[in-house]
Amino acid sequence: MKTLREMLAEARQVVPEEGPADLQRRMNSGEKVVVIDVRDPDEFRDGHIEGSTNISRGFLEFRIGTAVTDPATPIVLYCQTGLRSVLAAKALRELGYATVINLQGGYQKWVQSGLPVVRDVPMTPDQIQRYSRHFLLSQVGDRGQRRLLRAKVLLIGAGGLGSPAALYLAATGVGTLGLMDGDVVDLTNLQRQVLHTTGDVGKPKVESGTRTIKALNPDVNVIALPTRITVDNVMDIIKDYDLVVDGSDNFETRYLVNDACFLAGKTNVHGSIFQFEGMATVFAPHEGPCYRCLYPTPPPPGLVPS
Amino acid sequence: MQATEVVKLLLGIGEPLVGRLLTYDALGMRFREVKLRRDPKCPLCGTSPTIKDLTIHMDGGGGACAITPDGAREPLPAAATPKAGG
Repeated sequence: MKTLREMLAEARQVVPEEGPADLQRRMNSGEKVVVIDVRDPDEFRDGHIEGSTNISRGFLEFRIGTAVTDPATPIVLYCQTGLRSVLAAKALRELGYATVINLQGGYQKWVQSGLPVVRDVPMTPDQIQRYSRHFLLSQVGDRGQRRLLRAKVLLIGAGGLGSPAALYLAATGVGTLGLMDGDVVDLTNLQRQVLHTTGDVGKPKVESGTRTIKALNPDVNVIALPTRITVDNVMDIIKDYDLVVDGSDNFETRYLVNDACFLAGKTNVHGSIFQFEGMATVFAPHEGPCYRCLYPTPPPPGLVPS
Repeated sequence: MQATEVVKLLLGIGEPLVGRLLTYDALGMRFREVKLRRDPKCPLCGTSPTIKDLTIHMDGGGGACAITPDGAREPLPAAATPKAGG
């Protein structure tokens, strides 16, 4: 009969190991790698590597097919100290997965190396009910919902475009919404700017916007920024967010947001409207074009009505 | 539409509108898609950018007079004329 020691030694002969720093490099390089935490769900909830999927050791062979569709995709497995995962990695190799790597030292060594971890705060019964329809979507699920709850999105403008975006993002459960607008609500805004109500006329848009968002979903942390975006504040503000939604109403701001997002490496979800026409696109730095690729310079004042 | 794109980007699912401009004409109730390419001569994200910080915005106007427009660019379809409204 084999001893545990012999089994581990055998597995180590066929499974390459990498340390925490190597894994972080792989994950940051944009390489297509699947990281699987093979510990039990309660260990995973207490803390795990961001971006990893939890398939506990006992279910690995049953569920790997859904987590990894292409057997050529590199897979990194980890457990608490690197022992359970090395045996698991050997099993995956035997199933025919070409590149299966074990995280040497496991989650424990990852934490000791000072690398970032994510802890799942248990969802409240209200949250479980509120987002239950998301859990049914395989592309969202419990994990996606947690990711949304951790996300920070900046909305530039709480007007015609910012209003519906804010409402839908709040309903979806995006955890932090920065709401930036220096204007006050005007009666003429109300036929389209659905964040605000008749009683809000004369109040700052971020004030009525915050109230509407909180009423829709109290989970959302709203950061009210009652100011116009300027060259002096833009970089300092956008640095705190994962994504920017440009719903501004003038070209000066559009170019400023475009340039600042590109320089800060933030994706800019762009929208603009005029009368019965609208357009939308996404400016992802280095992945696709930016606003200046479309329109290198702002139109002369007065040429395009705003 | 912007909210849907945000959720997709945050979750890393689907095909985001990167490199595509979606235009919407409410009167005709038509959507059109225009492919967008990166402009190698783009003053911001091109191969030899001239905009490396935000000083171009110091005088306001989004740098209206600071760059010479590139006449060689392909014109965008009429549906894709810039719109200011938000």
